[in-house]
Amino acid sequence: MTSKPLEGVRVLDFTWVRAGPWCTRWLAVLGAEVVKVEWPDPRLAFNGRIGGAMGAQGGGPNAGGHANDQNAEKLSITVNVRSPKGLQIIKDLMLVTDVVVENFSASVMDDWGLGYEVMRELKPDIIYVSMAGFGHEGRHAAYTTMGPSVQALSGLTFLSGLPDAPPAGWGWSYMDDTGGLYGAMSTLAALHHKQATGEGQHVDMSQVAAGITLTGPALLDLSANHRPSRRAGYPPGNRAHWPGTPLMNNYRGRTVAPHNAYRTLGGEHFDWCAITCATDEEWSSLVALMGSPAWATDAQFATNVGRLEHQLELDAHIEDWTRTVEKYELMDRCQASGVPAGAVQSTEDRVEHDPQLRARNLFTPMTHPVIGTFPMQQAPFQLSATPVPVSRHGPLLGEHNVSILGGLLGISWDEIQDGYRDGTLWPAHVPMEHVDYLFERPSGQLASREG
Amino acid sequence: MAPERFGNGPLGDLRVIEVGGEVGEWCAKLMADLGADVIKIEPPGGAAEREIGPFLDDIPTAERSLHFWHYNTSKRGITLDLESAAGRELFRRLADTADVVLESYPPGYLPSIGLGYRELEGSNPRLVMCSLTPFGQQGPWRDYRTSDLVHLAVGGQMGECGYDEVDVAGAPPIGPGGGNAWHTAGHYAFIGIMSALFYRGVQGAGQYIDASVHDACALTTEGGVTQWIYNHAVVKRQTGRHAAANPSPRTQFLCADGRYVNTLMFGLRMSPQQLLVVADWFDQRGLAADLKDEKYQDPEALNGSMPHIIEVAERFFAATTSDEVYHGAQQRGFALGPVRAPEEVAADEHFRDRGFFVTVEHPELGRSFEYPGAAAIYHASPWSIRRRAPLIGEDNVEVFGEIGVAREALGVLRESGVI
Repeated sequence: MTSKPLEGVRVLDFTWVRAGPWCTRWLAVLGAEVVKVEWPDPRLAFNGRIGGAMGAQGGGPNAGGHANDQNAEKLSITVNVRSPKGLQIIKDLMLVTDVVVENFSASVMDDWGLGYEVMRELKPDIIYVSMAGFGHEGRHAAYTTMGPSVQALSGLTFLSGLPDAPPAGWGWSYMDDTGGLYGAMSTLAALHHKQATGEGQHVDMSQVAAGITLTGPALLDLSANHRPSRRAGYPPGNRAHWPGTPLMNNYRGRTVAPHNAYRTLGGEHFDWCAITCATDEEWSSLVALMGSPAWATDAQFATNVGRLEHQLELDAHIEDWTRTVEKYELMDRCQASGVPAGAVQSTEDRVEHDPQLRARNLFTPMTHPVIGTFPMQQAPFQLSATPVPVSRHGPLLGEHNVSILGGLLGISWDEIQDGYRDGTLWPAHVPMEHVDYLFERPSGQLASREG
Repeated sequence: MAPERFGNGPLGDLRVIEVGGEVGEWCAKLMADLGADVIKIEPPGGAAEREIGPFLDDIPTAERSLHFWHYNTSKRGITLDLESAAGRELFRRLADTADVVLESYPPGYLPSIGLGYRELEGSNPRLVMCSLTPFGQQGPWRDYRTSDLVHLAVGGQMGECGYDEVDVAGAPPIGPGGGNAWHTAGHYAFIGIMSALFYRGVQGAGQYIDASVHDACALTTEGGVTQWIYNHAVVKRQTGRHAAANPSPRTQFLCADGRYVNTLMFGLRMSPQQLLVVADWFDQRGLAADLKDEKYQDPEALNGSMPHIIEVAERFFAATTSDEVYHGAQQRGFALGPVRAPEEVAADEHFRDRGFFVTVEHPELGRSFEYPGAAAIYHASPWSIRRRAPLIGEDNVEVFGEIGVAREALGVLRESGVI
């Protein structure tokens, strides 16, 4: 069996909701042993295990499809950090942990008695990555966020939409995903530093700050040219420039036309195709593909500036043509002619119809013991020497209590069973339903270690 | 021998070569600001990305592209023509000194000129080489032409962003601006590269990474894909909130100052205690309506009344500025945010406290400008912009000197079109 790149790295994972778990998902996929510390409180939707896709079917904490995907390759333990025994278990785990990741608001770890100073006393070279929305420093560190508020606060919501309309914003928590990726990047950078110098550290990430870094050219246009983004024609929809407003760059690369989404045959919700021409050569190819209609050979469309100035007419003519062609056929015909084009894909399209993602094996079937066999999202890169197939489903709740608490800390089977009754490893007020496996004593090595 | 360190950041012992166009420049900037010695190779005369606006003082020259400035901080810049035999030889020598080569040429180009991973790892087995390309190195779309917008279409971003029919009739799916297909690809490439470097630190060997913009975008739409996979429900576009299989309550509200706030505070379940907090707040303007009524203290009744509660909230927001709503909501424990334009972001005092905005000198202009800074504070190995983006060929003398090119030869290399 080949190794994975982060083998030997242990991560204690206190994350919840999306941004944090998406961070640790990638650390786990890359081979780190990610130990998810959970507390099965139904008031917290079992730490995100229910709710979301396939969560509401009464199957208990192990029936969440979304959780299965975002926790793939992780291990799960249940520990009450707010009990003295539970806190001691976490502190004992710190001694054998390389990285701690959490995305609570700023004060939570301190309140638990698990702030960075405590961690560092236990494990001087520990890496602690906090992923609070506002970070741990700054006057509003106590403020909290969800993905949509991160996007709003960072300027990302504003740049999505049509001019003179409300912001269209983002139809999902882009900054939960991207905040998670930034968390993983921060962890990997800190791991590299530790590998080179032996030194751990606290990395204080802010999800909002991460979002702001994605608006650089607009911020520089402001600081260097004093040009605000609240202006006529901004944001320019899918275009690089909105017709009838002063000609200028709008921070989406080159200011070119055509640059838009066009209706395609069928006219349904997802029957659209994006077409962009960055050069006159690409435009000429598009004209030829459309059959060189008279309108398209008019001199006003021969240059990029002409096309920008007559964009309404240009787009209307192009759409008259695209409406007659199915979106994938349109995309393929454009591409065969050297014109950049891409079908607007739905979630179903990507999982079921996209031939490229299929060729790249981005979704592969995986069996989960409770919910069955479903496609699992794979990594978007291929490592030649250390492949990272996602090959383990999301953990059952507390599935690794015995292997981690017993295997790493030497806690006995009986003590673990006591922990389910005394509030250390399971909340006293929550019935232990759907978790029969917690009472199945494993045979073999772990059991004999106790003897 | 202790390794040479370039910057103080966590990647301060790494040398990265970036070549092949705009797709890789964000990933390389992230590494450069974290301390890596990133050598950006441009074709003689300068990279095409220098033609992208906006430009300083709206004077469009290759050294004044603010786009180029943002995406190339802390890098060293050299010019090199890989089409020439001499250029290829110099590239090989540079790659021998590198920890990472990050390239975004069309698939197959570098191998076709003898500079693929197979050739480079022969003399530098520790090399981590990443090809970051639109669709990766194989598959039916491998050679398709793209742009940021085309990626947002096929990646699924556009399919999930847009408008309720009542807000903008017949609206197209919206591709958010700002270059986020490239950003997303850069983030995953960074993760892949750093993991390979960690493995190299343990095992000694480098490797090749095939990273795809399309794969990256397709993976970055949160719960939409899992709703299809597990429930066979297709999410559809709505104004300013998550695309959903069935229409969901609005979350974006217009305030008295003409700006919007976006919140999930009324989109998720609300507790009776939270409603009392909200009612007290709205009552300060006499706009609590009936929210203090006992009947809402029953959780079931409360959640059955969310449309009404949202209506009351809309009236309160319409009478209150977005900043007041923002701080008022946050002080009461709600994770609400104002929809800010960059000019409001730049004025935010919290991020100024964090030292987020940094001043970068442009000595050739005798001026300094404020740049966006770090997503994270690295307490032991500080992030920094060590220098503004390189001028065209600014570091030719230094970098080529480091690989043993005699200084007097550089003139001939320039005359020959090699650099």
